[in-house]
Amino acid sequence: MFQVIGGRSVPAARLLAPRSAVLVEAVRGRKSRTDPVAKSKEGRIKVPPPVDPVEMVVLKERYTEYQLIMSALRLEFKEEVLRKKYEEETGSQAEERVRQEAEEHRSLMAWNNEENLQISFCQEAEEAQRKKIEAAIQREQEQQEFIKEKEREILQLQEEVKNFITVENLDQRIEEALDNPKNYNFAIDKEGRVVKQTALQ
Amino acid sequence: MPRYELALILKQMQRPETAAALRRTVGTLMERGALVRDLENLGERRLPYRMTKHNQRHSRGTYFLVDFYAAPSILTGFMDHLHRDVDVVRPTVLKKDTHVPHRNCCGPQNVVSKLDDDVLQRVG
Repeated sequence: MFQVIGGRSVPAARLLAPRSAVLVEAVRGRKSRTDPVAKSKEGRIKVPPPVDPVEMVVLKERYTEYQLIMSALRLEFKEEVLRKKYEEETGSQAEERVRQEAEEHRSLMAWNNEENLQISFCQEAEEAQRKKIEAAIQREQEQQEFIKEKEREILQLQEEVKNFITVENLDQRIEEALDNPKNYNFAIDKEGRVVKQTALQ
Repeated sequence: MPRYELALILKQMQRPETAAALRRTVGTLMERGALVRDLENLGERRLPYRMTKHNQRHSRGTYFLVDFYAAPSILTGFMDHLHRDVDVVRPTVLKKDTHVPHRNCCGPQNVVSKLDDDVLQRVG
């Protein structure tokens, strides 16, 4: 039999036959447990909703059948999924497949490593050779540059020696120097214009 | 031999006396084994501040620039000699800068670098 839902009538009606889309819970409303019953509800006897026995029996049978079928289907599907998963992990083919894959991987890696080694050896040797040659060339070039630089400096000095002051030149140079005062001062502005003529105090 | 520059300030004197002082100085230098390269006169001008030397107050002097090659060992003796010379107001020996190092100025590069190059070209 359907269980009679206890409580006042309004919440019960709302629960059993909700008119709105949302099922509202039983709420006490204004009055608490200890309040006296209202005058209009004095002789009220709660009566459960009428039930048709024939309909009830038929419904019950149908419902049991339906629920049985549904739960059986659900269990079947669950079992199928679990079985598939189990077979996938620890089936008869699974071990062999895993073994084959591992072996293939190993062989490929070994081949790859060998290729790498070969290539790297060749490259290393070549690179070392090239670097040595380049370093030697660089050093030679630098030496040449250095020598040329020194030669240039020597030549320049030899040219300048003619203008140096000696005991004979001394007087003449002193007279020359006293006659030509040199002024190194200059003025410059932000645009870069240079002015050499300055007032010497 | 390293290259030095003597910035010499001589007392305000008549021309023959200045010549004599110069001859004396350069002669001493050459006696001590230096090789004098060049002698420049920067003119007779007012000193930046009054200098007292040998019990005399100087406000004007003649600036001379002597660059020479010398051994470093003679320098102290030479400076000593110059300090004792009455006509010399201030002797200063510096190392000669042949190559001016290029400074990296911060700021807008194009303006500053252009200025530097131009200045260097015109000053020579």
